[in-house]
Amino acid sequence: MKRLLQTILTAASSRALPPLVVGFFFLVYIGIAFFTNETLITLMAFTRNSLILDGILALIPLNSALRILQETCWHLKKRRVLNGKTSDVKPALFDESVELTAAPSFSDLQSRLGAVGYKTRRSENAVTAWRGASIFPARILFLAGTFCLFTGILISITTRTSHRQMVVEGEPLPVPEGIGGRVERITLANSSGPILRKTLTMEVAPSSSGYGKRVFGIYPPSMYGGSFVYPRYLGLALLLRFSAPDLPAGIEKHSILNCYPPGKEASEEIPGSPYRIVFSIPEPVAGSDRYISYMTGNVTLKFKLLKGKEVLFSGSAPGGGEFVRDGYRLAFPDIRRLVVTDYIGDYGVFFIWVAALLFIGAGCIWLPVRLFFPRREMLFRYDQGVATACSLAEGGARTHAGVFHEMLDMIDARRGEASVV
Amino acid sequence: MVAVKLIPQLISWFGIVLVLLRGFPGLRSVVTTTSISGFAIGVSGAFFMFRSLPAAIPFGAVKSALGVSFLLLWGISVAAIYRSTGRRVTISSGARLVNTSIGAGTGAVLAGIITGLVCACRISGTDGNFPKLLFLVLIAGILTVIALAVEKRLPASLTVSPSGMLTAVVALLLFCSSSSLRLDLFSPLSMKVMKGVHDFVHQFMESVLIPDHLFVRSVVWGYIGLLFGKEVGFWGGMIIWFTPAILIALAINFQRLPSVAHIRQGARRRKLLADAIRNKRMLLITPLFSLAIFAAAAYQSSFPSVEYWDPKPEPVTASPSGEIFIPKKGEINLEDGKLHKYLFKQEGKEARFFVLLSPAGQLTVDLDACAICKPDGYGQAEGSVICYYCKTLIPLDTVGKPGGCNPVPIQFTEKADGVAIDGMTLLNAWSSTVRATARVKEGGK
Repeated sequence: MKRLLQTILTAASSRALPPLVVGFFFLVYIGIAFFTNETLITLMAFTRNSLILDGILALIPLNSALRILQETCWHLKKRRVLNGKTSDVKPALFDESVELTAAPSFSDLQSRLGAVGYKTRRSENAVTAWRGASIFPARILFLAGTFCLFTGILISITTRTSHRQMVVEGEPLPVPEGIGGRVERITLANSSGPILRKTLTMEVAPSSSGYGKRVFGIYPPSMYGGSFVYPRYLGLALLLRFSAPDLPAGIEKHSILNCYPPGKEASEEIPGSPYRIVFSIPEPVAGSDRYISYMTGNVTLKFKLLKGKEVLFSGSAPGGGEFVRDGYRLAFPDIRRLVVTDYIGDYGVFFIWVAALLFIGAGCIWLPVRLFFPRREMLFRYDQGVATACSLAEGGARTHAGVFHEMLDMIDARRGEASVV
Repeated sequence: MVAVKLIPQLISWFGIVLVLLRGFPGLRSVVTTTSISGFAIGVSGAFFMFRSLPAAIPFGAVKSALGVSFLLLWGISVAAIYRSTGRRVTISSGARLVNTSIGAGTGAVLAGIITGLVCACRISGTDGNFPKLLFLVLIAGILTVIALAVEKRLPASLTVSPSGMLTAVVALLLFCSSSSLRLDLFSPLSMKVMKGVHDFVHQFMESVLIPDHLFVRSVVWGYIGLLFGKEVGFWGGMIIWFTPAILIALAINFQRLPSVAHIRQGARRRKLLADAIRNKRMLLITPLFSLAIFAAAAYQSSFPSVEYWDPKPEPVTASPSGEIFIPKKGEINLEDGKLHKYLFKQEGKEARFFVLLSPAGQLTVDLDACAICKPDGYGQAEGSVICYYCKTLIPLDTVGKPGGCNPVPIQFTEKADGVAIDGMTLLNAWSSTVRATARVKEGGK
């Protein structure tokens, strides 16, 4: 049983596991691609609905966690050996390990290593030499990033919920679990930031269900009732009055127009009649902001009135205005700003954000350390008539090996034949 | 004539035999026998498949075999880089098997079969005849003997690692298949990569709740837009195409030098290390040569030497009721089996479409674009139309059916003297499907 557990643990913490899992999903992706063009979405749907695929994907964060533990243990063991706190020198901790039947002169070794740029530490029966910085912190950050990324992906794929709602100025905030506070104001303004060119704020009054006053921006999205409030598109909420010669009583209806950016058409059927109105926002005058009508609230709507497939006429009217021709009357008594908003229930997003930060941190440490200050270490120990020499290099291995061999020659010159391990 | 048509394939075959012989230096007779036997099996297999099955099946089977060999190369290259960067990794039993006569024979026979299939597809298709194929096997046999003689004259220091050998064989296989549109892998790969990248970026942005383009500075969006561009498919395809060979070259380069710490003579240590370094450099020649072959295959795929029927779109207008009418006879005969392109413009919007008589005698009206690729349009070759963007061949009898890289079909009314299309339907179809594939121009997701 213990042996079985050990085997499972070894497999689960193997460096080969993540590429194998990624390769497996890649093969599934290729297989799906033969049958559908929506390959990625289909693969995500399969993974969401299959415990087996979830389990296989979960192997990557498990592997990362185990590797963090394993590599930390190795690192600490190595530190203990190099600090002289233990005499149990395991060759597996180093690139090379050699035993010589000669008694080294530690002071000669120390002075020679110091002359070639190594820092040294001498204890009673050992000399340790090192230079450069270890990439261990970068490695741990990378593994932690991998853990967070795949945990985030797993959580996101298996638990994500999305509800699209229309947030209308002056109306209660629709939330998946009911009604939130009233949306007091929606503001779109220019931004001077390096990434965002516009800021969008939705100010929401305190709600009867216990939520206080809130202001929602664009990024990072805020949470409300356990969901991220993710503004997607801009639109208008229109109160439309329409009458026609064959519809003298007229009708009044609320319409949601997803009509931004200017030029985008939004169609509205007049129920119980052959009429259809196609709305759009006219392009503003040259030099003006394309979204100036949304920003100021002074909206003029262009429209085409169709009866069946036939276009009867087209025209435009401002918010609060009306248009009358040939017995037809269109009035827009109320136009309000609207934001098409997704409520995203997904805690995996936090993990993905953290993973991005960890990867950036790992990269910022790894690159300069690996290029300019790679860690190189040597240990020379003398116990019971045998000198043990160990060497490890995270970079600059050829030069380091040259110095190591020179040290071995120095030790050997004192006695003669070396025994090989 | 057959030999001229098959020059790239025969050069590839010569290269494959040469690499196999050098890769299995002690097993020359096994490699020679099995490779030429494999070639003959492949050619005869293709002959029988083309005789007994619809042409799409043998082409599909050969293309799948090429795809599997490329995937295998990917797997081997990842394993090679894993082995070279890890410590204390022992040689697996699979790697040991490669150097046995069974391993060598199996590898050579498979390479022979696939090359034979590709060559047979190139010359025969559905109208191949037996003497032609027999002649092909004869030429392949002669080239095998020449390769055997040439290989003996190569310097002994020019060694080939098993992974390097696989890289070269797969590169040569892909090179010899890239001159056949129906076997080419690079163009479909580019198309799939483009779609995959688009989907991935879109899903990623949705996953981490990145705001839509209207909120983001156009400069920043310009950079994001690169990932939605036409070039991402080509460059992404290039990365996937070349990476295995690069990984294998890196794996050879990262191989640890032998441990010489136990040797107390400095000169001997240096000699051992110098030998190991020289050997590594020699091993690098094959994967680097393979990179050049992969590049030639990608070039051949991107610039195929085939001419297509691609008429200039004729401008058409709609009647006041919005109907576009195209007569069957007149300057253009819609029923001549050729693709006829038209351009409809209205109120600043435009849509490009074509009318085609299918082999079954049915007229079809389709957008000159598909729902996946950028709207580069279609050209007509024998028995098929080709998407200029991704080089996918669409058999004529499936034009008019939706899905994949097929042209987007448009509803129309066939009258006695022509076809009638609703202009609004056409513009809407162009907007809703084609503009979605040209997001960069629009600056949106």
